[in-house]
Amino acid sequence: MYLLYSFRLALQSLWREKWINLLSVLTIAAGLFMITLTFFLVYNIDLATKRLPARFSVMLYLNDGLSEQETGSIIAQVKKNNAVEQAKYIAKDKALQELKGVLKNADYILEGVDENPLPASIEIKLKKEAVNIASVKKVAAEIKKIKGIAEVEYGEQFLNSLHSIKGMAKAGSLSLIIIMSAGVIFVCYSTIKIAFYRRKEEIETFKLLGATRGFIRAPFVIEGGVLGIFGGIAGAAAALAFYYVLFYKVTATIPILKILVFPLETFPALPAAGLLLGIGGAVIALGRIRFS
Amino acid sequence: MIHFSNVTKFYEKQAALKNITFSIEKGEMVFMTGPSGAGKSTLLKIIYLSEKPDEGSVTIAEWDLSKLKESSIPFLRRNIGVVFQDFRLLDNRNVFDNVAIALRIRGMLDSEIQEWVMEILKMVNLRHKADSFPQALSGGEQQRVVIARAIVGEPTILLADEPTGNLDPDTAAGITRLFKEINARGTTVVIATHNRELYRNTGRRVLRIDGGNMVGEEIG
Ligand SMILES: Nc1ncnc2c1ncn2[C@@H]1O[C@H](COP(=O)(O)OP(=O)(O)OP(=O)(O)O)[C@@H](O)[C@H]1O
Ligand SMILES: [Mg+2]
Repeated sequence: MYLLYSFRLALQSLWREKWINLLSVLTIAAGLFMITLTFFLVYNIDLATKRLPARFSVMLYLNDGLSEQETGSIIAQVKKNNAVEQAKYIAKDKALQELKGVLKNADYILEGVDENPLPASIEIKLKKEAVNIASVKKVAAEIKKIKGIAEVEYGEQFLNSLHSIKGMAKAGSLSLIIIMSAGVIFVCYSTIKIAFYRRKEEIETFKLLGATRGFIRAPFVIEGGVLGIFGGIAGAAAALAFYYVLFYKVTATIPILKILVFPLETFPALPAAGLLLGIGGAVIALGRIRFS
Repeated sequence: MIHFSNVTKFYEKQAALKNITFSIEKGEMVFMTGPSGAGKSTLLKIIYLSEKPDEGSVTIAEWDLSKLKESSIPFLRRNIGVVFQDFRLLDNRNVFDNVAIALRIRGMLDSEIQEWVMEILKMVNLRHKADSFPQALSGGEQQRVVIARAIVGEPTILLADEPTGNLDPDTAAGITRLFKEINARGTTVVIATHNRELYRNTGRRVLRIDGGNMVGEEIG
């Protein structure tokens, strides 16, 4: 096989133009680093929105004047709903007490209020998998049908905006990642294209001596791959520096940032991504090799 | 081995070859002569598939060139050794590598190449120049490197385009002897040349081309 020789040709060529190639590697590294940052951002937005369900609850306000038995039956029916994780009953006086607790010194507001104006309520928490707009709406509608429930309240607005923030972040970062990847491919493409033109004469001779497409392509594909891998390694080094500064330096002054998560799989993934993009750019640059 | 049938080749609107028909049998050694610009190189280029005929058909061994798949071209070319008129040496490689490349293209490993290349260099008297670069060689030495590269792969057809253009009479005679030896081993040899000395008294066929026409055939 000629691959050993192809590697030699590729390394020779890489070394001959080392400064231009170094520039390409750094550009690739910068692109991959920006992809990493974008990924880091969207990853954390995703995590943050996944954490919210624990706090998400639906309030059910009951009709006034229900008997203890009726109330018990309502609670039982609510609990029977598949999406409900837990249901907590809050009696009228308990609600008033809580309100007073909230008002504290301002409880004069309630002076003169003889009758307790607050309804009894049930606070329910949904199972994790049920916390999305569609199923929350469905559950709310189902529960509203239970006799004795006056009103169902949940953060509809909140859920909607959460959903669209997540969607926007995902779409934005995905397009950014695609654009940056195209940029990396383009850098490899032009580097290999230039290398190819520089060796055009020699390639013509190779063809006349009976070289196959594989023999002609291999050194350039290897060059693209090597540029990509080194770009990936440099990008991973930059990501490592970013990781270090963020989690060891910045969190010392802004502790809240500790909730951010940096997926460590990124470090080995970058050289692999670089390799693929580099090979891709090289293959595009070579195009179809013709013999006549 | 090589059959041309009514082959015409145009460069832009100028015909470089006009209605050429001839055959060269397996194992023959044939000369092709004619003035500068007659179309000798063009004819050889058609044989090694560097140019396509505009009319007529060409058959090499059993291959009809017009029906040849493009991906087969490299494998046909490996059976055709060419001494290019313009040498086509690789300036950034030494003599050894310039010859070895023909074998590397065939996927041979360095360990297999080493001895064989040195053997061929000895045949063209260039063993001592193995590490030199083409720019550091005389015209005749460069020409012999090209010859070495053409024969190192043991092709079934050897095409030599003005192979002694830069050689003194003695060296030229040596190269002719080498071609005869290669031909004696069964290789079909086609030599394009102005140099009458090359074919005089050889008893071989000499095809005469002028202005793109096949104007005659004689025995040298
Ligand atoms: N690539 C080309 N483009 C246009 N015209 C060409 C091309 N190659 C050759 N020609 C023309 O075709 C004709 C034949 O050229 P060719 O090289 O075959 O001649 P030749 O017999 O080999 O001459 P010489 O003995 O000088 O090598 C010439 O008139 C030449 O100018
Ligand atoms: Mg010529």
